[in-house]
Amino acid sequence: MKRNSQQEELLRVPVHMKLHYRFPAGAHYDKFFEEMKETGKIMGVKCPECERVLLPPRPVCGECFVRTGEWVQVGPKGTVVAYTSIYFPFVDGTTGKPRPIPYGAGLIQLDGAYSAINHILEEGDPEKLHIGMRVEAVLTEEREGNIGDILYFKTIEE
Amino acid sequence: MGKRAAIIGTGQTNHCSTREDVNEMELVYEAATAALKDAEMTIKDIDAVVLANMELFEGRALHDMWCGEGAGALLKHSFKISTGGTSGTSGAISGYYHVASGLFDRVMVVGFEKHSDGNTSAGMALTDPFWDRHIAAAAIGNFALSVSEYMADRGVTEEQSAKVAVKARRNACNNPHAHLQMPDLTVEEVLESPILAYPVRRLEMCPQSDGACAIIFASEEIAKKSCARPAWVRAAVTRHDHIYLGEVKNRLTTMRSLREAAKVAYEIVGIREPLKEFDVAEIYDPLTYAEIAWYEALGFCKDGEGGKLIDNGVTHMDGELPVNPSGGVISTNPVGASGTIRVAEGALQIHGMGGKRQIPDVNLALVTGYGVYCWSDVLVLSSKPG
Repeated sequence: MKRNSQQEELLRVPVHMKLHYRFPAGAHYDKFFEEMKETGKIMGVKCPECERVLLPPRPVCGECFVRTGEWVQVGPKGTVVAYTSIYFPFVDGTTGKPRPIPYGAGLIQLDGAYSAINHILEEGDPEKLHIGMRVEAVLTEEREGNIGDILYFKTIEE
Repeated sequence: MGKRAAIIGTGQTNHCSTREDVNEMELVYEAATAALKDAEMTIKDIDAVVLANMELFEGRALHDMWCGEGAGALLKHSFKISTGGTSGTSGAISGYYHVASGLFDRVMVVGFEKHSDGNTSAGMALTDPFWDRHIAAAAIGNFALSVSEYMADRGVTEEQSAKVAVKARRNACNNPHAHLQMPDLTVEEVLESPILAYPVRRLEMCPQSDGACAIIFASEEIAKKSCARPAWVRAAVTRHDHIYLGEVKNRLTTMRSLREAAKVAYEIVGIREPLKEFDVAEIYDPLTYAEIAWYEALGFCKDGEGGKLIDNGVTHMDGELPVNPSGGVISTNPVGASGTIRVAEGALQIHGMGGKRQIPDVNLALVTGYGVYCWSDVLVLSSKPG
């Protein structure tokens, strides 16, 4: 819908940018991804006051405003607490290109963790997805030390 | 408690998907001059200018630098608020603070967004590079996750969601500024529109619009002198919550930032029964399901009864509490302006200048803003200074 537009077409200048960034991970992300890369373990960090195990691991518990403490292994099994199937080609923030569709996505509460993490589900059919279903993280063989080392969460029977 | 402050003028552009005929400065200028005309002022009368805009969407940094002249901010006290979807309401709250502090008498707030200039999808993808970027599916994907929890928890139905879409797009027909005006839209058509992220359909989501909206706040003395029916700001509260999506359980259901902001605002004004006491509400509804969830968070009904309000027409134009006579964000969404539009529309209802979308005898209006899945603003506007 073009309202308020005049008949005459005004100039548009196309701009394509390729930008490079190097984000510092900080000590918590660094340990999390190093651990996953080297041992395949998924680690959360515990708040010494409220005792919630947080993901992503971070230096401060927002609820208590204190430094987080010990590392705790969580998962790799977990429970789907929210789900969707994506039918729209959203941009992949790591490549800038649209993702192949459809695919399943969910919030997964890993066993032992308070926070749920958002990630891709192997099952993409919304009819076969439900809250409370059990899933397990599937990791890549060659790990690079990023969240993509978890390929997806597969449905499991227990 | 600060000094009394009121909204004495509003102005907005007509909103649509692409304003090819103007650049952003001209868009801002249109809204600013419309608000000044409404308040019967010139730019010389304005002491301070607050700009509100979402970052990254237009692909340009420092919008206050590029557009400030269009808002009349040159050599005036001025700065920009950028808090995602709440930018527009937080900008308005900032404008109110300026006057309530006693340091400024006449403050103009301009919210604006020109989605067609840039790449909204790219802006939305630039989340936490370590955690979200591999997975995030923009606002729609994240909403869809929350909707699955909300539906399971509260039993809200697809039909109830579709009814919100129909109400919004039909209300928009009474608003000459609205983007999506669909007088004949039906529940069936909404439910037949393509699924973007299950269960959220295209016609259940807000559009991306080009547009700007300006509001003029004035101190008590000036407001009483220059405006027949000032819209007094009786409360303005903002709350932010955890950003990571999985940190808050049942985010839409609990929406604790909105609940907390509303609780505090209602306490300030002394509101006990919001459904009865408010005459109109302009709430930030990014998608249909959220509007129903906000009914509950704002205390219009008990938890779990939001769907009934839309079923029973309680929030329709002729209902007990009309929600979004303007058509809401579902009909019009220039993000940085969307919150400012809510405040302007609330004020317009008190001014009695709502035209075909005017609700009769509005004395108390509720306005909300929503951003980044978890941030909330609540304002209460009144015909009485309190």
